[in-house]
Amino acid sequence: MANHAPHALSRTRRAETLTAWALVLPAFIGFALFYALPTLRAIEISFTDWNLLRSPKFVGLANYAAMLEDGKFWQGMKLSAIYVVLNIPLQVVLGLFLAVSMDRLTKSLFVKSIVLLPYLLSNVLVAMMWLWMLDPLLGLVNGMIDGLGFDRQPFFGGVDQALFTVAAVNIWRHMGLVAMLFLAGLQNIPRNLYEAAALEGASEWQMFWRITLPLLRPVMVFVLVTSVTGSFQIFDTIAVTTNGGPLDSTRVIVHYIVQNAFSFYKMGYASAMSMTLCVVMMLYTVFQMRVMKASQNDLA
Amino acid sequence: MNLKLSTLAAALLATVGSAHAVEVKYMLWDANQLPAYKQCAADFEKKNAGITIKITQSGWNDYWTTVSTGFVSGTAPDVFTDHLAKYPEFAKNEQLLDLAPMIQRDKVDTGAYTSGLYDNWGREGKQYGLPKDWDTIGMVVNMEMAKKAGVSLAELQAMTWNPKDGGSFEKIVRKLSLDGSGNNASNAKFDKKKVSTYGYGFWNSGSGDMMGQTEWSHFAVSNGFKFQDKPWATTFYYDDAKLAETIDYLAGLPTKGLFASFENSKSLGADAMFVAKKVAMVPQGSWMITHFKTNAKFDHAWVPLPTGPTGTRATMFNGLADSIWAGSKVKEESWKWVKYLGSADCQSTVASYGVVFPAVKGMAEKAIEVQKGKGVDSSAFLTMAKSKTYLPPIADGGSEISEVMKAALETVLMGRSDATSALKTANTKVNQLAKK
Amino acid sequence: MTTLFAPVAPPAAHRIRIFTPGRIAAWFALGLMLLITLAPLWMVVKTALMQSANLYTESDQLLPSAPTLDNFIRVLGFMTLEESRALGGSGAEINFLRAMGNSLLFTSIIVVMQISLAAMAAYAFARLRFPGRNTLFALFVGSMMVPGVVTFIPNFILIKDLGLLNTMAGMVAPFCLMQGFSVFFLRQFFLSIPRDLEEAALLDGASYFYIFLHVVLPLSITPLATIAMLTGINMWNEFFWPYLVAKDEAQQVLPVALQTFKSQTAQGQPDWTGLMAATAITVMPTILLLVVMGRRVVESVQFSGGK
Repeated sequence: MANHAPHALSRTRRAETLTAWALVLPAFIGFALFYALPTLRAIEISFTDWNLLRSPKFVGLANYAAMLEDGKFWQGMKLSAIYVVLNIPLQVVLGLFLAVSMDRLTKSLFVKSIVLLPYLLSNVLVAMMWLWMLDPLLGLVNGMIDGLGFDRQPFFGGVDQALFTVAAVNIWRHMGLVAMLFLAGLQNIPRNLYEAAALEGASEWQMFWRITLPLLRPVMVFVLVTSVTGSFQIFDTIAVTTNGGPLDSTRVIVHYIVQNAFSFYKMGYASAMSMTLCVVMMLYTVFQMRVMKASQNDLA
Repeated sequence: MNLKLSTLAAALLATVGSAHAVEVKYMLWDANQLPAYKQCAADFEKKNAGITIKITQSGWNDYWTTVSTGFVSGTAPDVFTDHLAKYPEFAKNEQLLDLAPMIQRDKVDTGAYTSGLYDNWGREGKQYGLPKDWDTIGMVVNMEMAKKAGVSLAELQAMTWNPKDGGSFEKIVRKLSLDGSGNNASNAKFDKKKVSTYGYGFWNSGSGDMMGQTEWSHFAVSNGFKFQDKPWATTFYYDDAKLAETIDYLAGLPTKGLFASFENSKSLGADAMFVAKKVAMVPQGSWMITHFKTNAKFDHAWVPLPTGPTGTRATMFNGLADSIWAGSKVKEESWKWVKYLGSADCQSTVASYGVVFPAVKGMAEKAIEVQKGKGVDSSAFLTMAKSKTYLPPIADGGSEISEVMKAALETVLMGRSDATSALKTANTKVNQLAKK
Repeated sequence: MTTLFAPVAPPAAHRIRIFTPGRIAAWFALGLMLLITLAPLWMVVKTALMQSANLYTESDQLLPSAPTLDNFIRVLGFMTLEESRALGGSGAEINFLRAMGNSLLFTSIIVVMQISLAAMAAYAFARLRFPGRNTLFALFVGSMMVPGVVTFIPNFILIKDLGLLNTMAGMVAPFCLMQGFSVFFLRQFFLSIPRDLEEAALLDGASYFYIFLHVVLPLSITPLATIAMLTGINMWNEFFWPYLVAKDEAQQVLPVALQTFKSQTAQGQPDWTGLMAATAITVMPTILLLVVMGRRVVESVQFSGGK
């Protein structure tokens, strides 16, 4: 913008700045009121003992100290981490398979719609549906299992099975979405790459590993970042199906935080835990961003 | 603090709208009692023009979250059915209105209630609720199955129990447990893996937390256990060996094939399994009489609980009351409604629906008559009321105590731990929490 | 093995042999996954059409023996309390039609407001220079990293202090003004639009705002529609915040209504046939959306991931 008249420049610049702020202001208010301010307040609350019904009492780092000693806190973090590990890899693999199928076998809109359907349903709906399907005595799945001669499985009611079941339900809901994202990525890959490789005698597996996967990396990273951070915050499904049980086997960290806030009225403690979770998530995101930067070169 | 625009607006509206009807929000959890209270509300509204009662029913699991979140958010119901295990926390957090001054002012006859009920709801001169109803526990038995198994009503009414061999109770339960080939559990050929009907079941929505009202407390107390020395005492006795024996006994039932494993029975619950004829006998409270009458479409009977090693039957004697929220904006009208709920008029109406035993003296008998008219003999509950009765544990810190006991009991019932160690650890924690 | 990927082929037509074992295996697997996707939906519908009395005997069969619309009638509130209880229901009065209306209102308000404000902010970030622009944008993007659980307690307290609990305003508040993802997404798109048209308009003396409205926005229909679609879907399904803030019957959105219905039965066990009828009703709008706007929805989702 080579405009050398200082008078005109400053007027344009001022107009630009004013316009910009006018455009950004509403969103900024939203940001300040519902993101920035609450984060600061959460930090403040985390230093108090407060049950929302009486005045808060300043307790310094006591909440954090208690948290470090609280077995249930560590259990919650561990369960969330296990859940992520159960959830994401399988989701990615299945999603990728679906995407490749939709790229090669059929371009039907009908298939795409069905694949995407679970994602369009709310977590609550999905939870209700599977609660019914997996019921030990009334559900279809156990009916089939029983028919095959095996023991009925408790699924949501089983101490060892509950977390897996929640993960499976989540995979059911999201693999279609992941598939669609991968499909978009697949369709961006130039066909001549495959043709050239085939001319040179490459097998399909080789083509998959050497061409498809590397070029899918940006999408893969996007999927990983959003899925992992999303999974760490799972709450809805658990609230509807197991409510933290049985025997706390699904008491993931967010559920424990909510329990402390609204069942035990320990707002201060809940805030301390949520701040800790926030820091952990930020560290993870930074880590992922580093990996993301490294992959940008692959595209060209 | 902040200028509450909403409060200002509400105040203006109140003055302007005083000519319009005042709405009192009332909440309860038992869907079976809804029709009775709707009738009470209709009668009350006739006698008190200008007040409308809005009744909401919310299932037990959601009820307390809704009430307590309501305290916090300022939208709690004006009047709500309260529970002995929950009200101490509410009172401590100053969420319940002290009814004593109004009781004195209006000269409410507190002696009209079945003895003991009124006092349970008071502490240090303050009164937090007017008694509403009382209940005891009994056992409901599928009489068709009993007949087939050759078990008579007289036998059922005279059961004995002990934690070592289960007494005549276990003998009967064994006769009532059938496997796929029709063998019962007293038969050596009984196949534990292919049970088609269980003799006994008690797990509904959980282990009963700190109360075990229907699940285990009656067995434990008839064995000599007690929760605490007196209400509000800060020392609990959950580590008593007599309780551990009881829980171990109950946890062993699935291994004997007499009840479904706890993981599997969680989904339906013993009550639903009873209705579906998959369980022959279930302990339940007098508030369930109508539920089974409507849903269990076969011959069934209510019998008293078994006599325990101490030589007595024991039952938890629970009395609900209606409390007023301290933050209610319509306290005077709420008080009128609570007074009516606690009056012989309303309780007589409730008795005529035959769903619960109202607290006012004489009403329980009336309810039993009504139930007899509907073909249900509920005298077992009166028998229980005359046996050894005990109160639910009352202490500060109820939510967290419940959580601790729930975890401990579930661990034992799911076979992850033995009762003695789990309960010992739990009791230490509970005693700490009760002293807070 | 067999070719799953097209080998050297004339670009006009993929000359792939249709019945290779690999393809058949792939089709089989795909078919299985489609079945797994559809089965629960079918069971929901089938249970909703079942009679409560047959619950224990027929629950795992594929077709109801005596289909009935009673459950739907009961759940939509058209039966009396007694009839409802006699059929095994809890007598719970959940007004699903009103919940649906609330959901519609909730979603619409947020989509309209959030997209408009996000577009405005995104344009400013993409095209205008002003002090603090990059920092502010980084903050907006950073807000996406803050887990919801951190902000929900203070937001709850804020909404309570403003007296907006159990109101539509309180429910939409955190979402309608700013959502990091929307701003980020649109700004990336605006950056990729060639500047010629805008520069021409600037030379003609147009204000930035005019350019935004009449040049940039018309070029951005697809991403705007995409973001609107995604936000709409997410808000229609939002459970956590409305559950905390608006539990009152009159304000409930569909997911909350469904959960309340589930916990409202007589002694803790769900009224399965009623619950499935309620679930079926709740699923209906989404399926309708797919049927009517299928291609658009599919493309929206793909578009958002491609960038």
